[in-house]
Amino acid sequence: MNRILLPFITYIAFVAESTIMQVLAPEHYNWGFQLIPHFSLVLIILISCYLKPSYGIVYGMVFGLLTDLIYTDLIGVYMFSTALVAYFISVLSRYLFSNFFVAILLSAAGAAGLEFMVYGLNSLIGIADTNIDSFFYDRLLPTLILNAVFTILVYYPFAKLLKKVRKAIHEN
Amino acid sequence: MPQFFSNKRLIILLASIIVLVAMIGFSMKDREELSWPEQFLKDTVGVSQSLFYKPANSIAGFFENLTEMKHMYQENKQLKSKLDEYAQLSVDVQELKKENKTLKSQLEKEADLTEYKVKEASVIGRSPDRWNKFIFVNKGYRDGVKPKMAVVSPEGFIGKVAKVSAFHSTIQLISDNDRTNRISAIAESNKRIFGMIEGYDSKKQALLFKKIPVDAKLEKGQKVITSGLGEVFPRGLLIGTVKEVKPDEYGLTKTAYLKPSADLYDLDHVMILDRSMPQVDENEFKAKEEE
Repeated sequence: MNRILLPFITYIAFVAESTIMQVLAPEHYNWGFQLIPHFSLVLIILISCYLKPSYGIVYGMVFGLLTDLIYTDLIGVYMFSTALVAYFISVLSRYLFSNFFVAILLSAAGAAGLEFMVYGLNSLIGIADTNIDSFFYDRLLPTLILNAVFTILVYYPFAKLLKKVRKAIHEN
Repeated sequence: MPQFFSNKRLIILLASIIVLVAMIGFSMKDREELSWPEQFLKDTVGVSQSLFYKPANSIAGFFENLTEMKHMYQENKQLKSKLDEYAQLSVDVQELKKENKTLKSQLEKEADLTEYKVKEASVIGRSPDRWNKFIFVNKGYRDGVKPKMAVVSPEGFIGKVAKVSAFHSTIQLISDNDRTNRISAIAESNKRIFGMIEGYDSKKQALLFKKIPVDAKLEKGQKVITSGLGEVFPRGLLIGTVKEVKPDEYGLTKTAYLKPSADLYDLDHVMILDRSMPQVDENEFKAKEEE
C-alpha cells in the first residue's frame, strides 16, 4: 500500500507545480522575480536519500520525462538532469549526518543543481536568453527559498512514510 | 571525497549523454503531430490538472475580489461615464457591419482575412519553468482545434496552438523565445507598417517588433495588430502598443518594443480562432508546379 502511495504523492506534487503554484505566481502581482516550483524533485531527493540511490534514478527519469513531454518542448533535458541530480544528492547524503537541516540543505542544493543544468542546456540550444546575473538574483535565489519552505512543510510527514516503506522493503 | 562513479557507471553516464543529445535533436525537429503515447500522457495529466487548477483559481479569485472591493466606488463612476460612449460606438459598429456586408455581397466576395469562428476554452495549467511559455487548455482535436490556430483573450492576441491531443491542447504564448515563434504584424497609421513579432524581452516585459523599414514613422502608443498574411491567423487581432523604438544593430531596420495588450499571466478563459479563409494547400501547389 505504502509503496503505491509514493509515486502517487510525487505525481500530485508534479501536477501542483503547473496548477496551484501558477495561480499564486509572483507575476500576477508584477513582482520582478520568478518562483519556480521543483516540488517533485524535492520529494524524489527525499525518497532517494531514505531508500536507495537507484530509486532516485528511476523516479528522476520517470518524472523528468513527464516534465519534458508535458511542460516543455524538448525531450531529454529534464529527464537527464533530474535523474543525475537525484543520484548525486543521494550519494552525498550517505556521507552526511541525516537530520532535518541537512535534508533542507540537500534539497536546496538539488534544486540549484537542476536549475543550473537546465539553464546551461537551454542557453546552449537558445531558449534561455537571460544573463547569469539576472538568472541568479531574479530566479535562482527566490526559487531556492520556495523549495526550502516546501521541504520544511513536507519533511516530517513524508519522512515518516518513507521510514515505513523502508521497513516494509527490509522485511521482504 | 566520496566515490560518485565506478568505471561501469561512468560508461553509463557517457552513454546517457549521447542519448540525451540524440533525443534533443529528435525533438527539435518541427513536429506537428504528437505520437499516441504523448497524446495519452497529455490527456491523463490534463484531467488531473483541471481537477487542481479550477478550485485553486476560484480561491485565489475570491481573495482578489476582496482587495478589489476597495476601489469599487471609483471604478463604478468611471465605467458609467464610459457607458455613454459605448452606446454610441455600438450603434456605429452595427451600422458599419451592415454596410460592410452589403458591399461585400455586391462584390461577391465570400471569405475574408478578418473572419473567423470562435471556440471557447478554459486554462487548466501553465508550464512551471519560465523558459518555455506554454499554457494548457481543455479543448483538443475532438473539438476541432488544430495546430497553428490563433488564440486570443478578451484583451487581445496571446499566442498560437502548438500541440493538440484528443481533449487538451498546448498553447505557445507570443512571449515564448522559440525561433519558430514569429508573427507577421502591422502597425496601423495612415500608411501601413509591416514587421515581424520575434521574441520577448523579459527584462523590459516587452515584445520585439522587428524588421520595420528605417523610414517608417512609428510613434509611442501606436497599436500593432496581426496582418493575417502568412500562416493561419485572422487579420486585425490586437497584439500590443508601441513603447519604444530603436534602430537595430546594423541600422538597416528598426525594432520597436511593444507592451502586450493582454496580460499574459492573468488568463482564465481563452478563445481559439479558426480562420474562415482557406489556407493554400502546399501539396497542391507543388503538384501544379511540377506539371
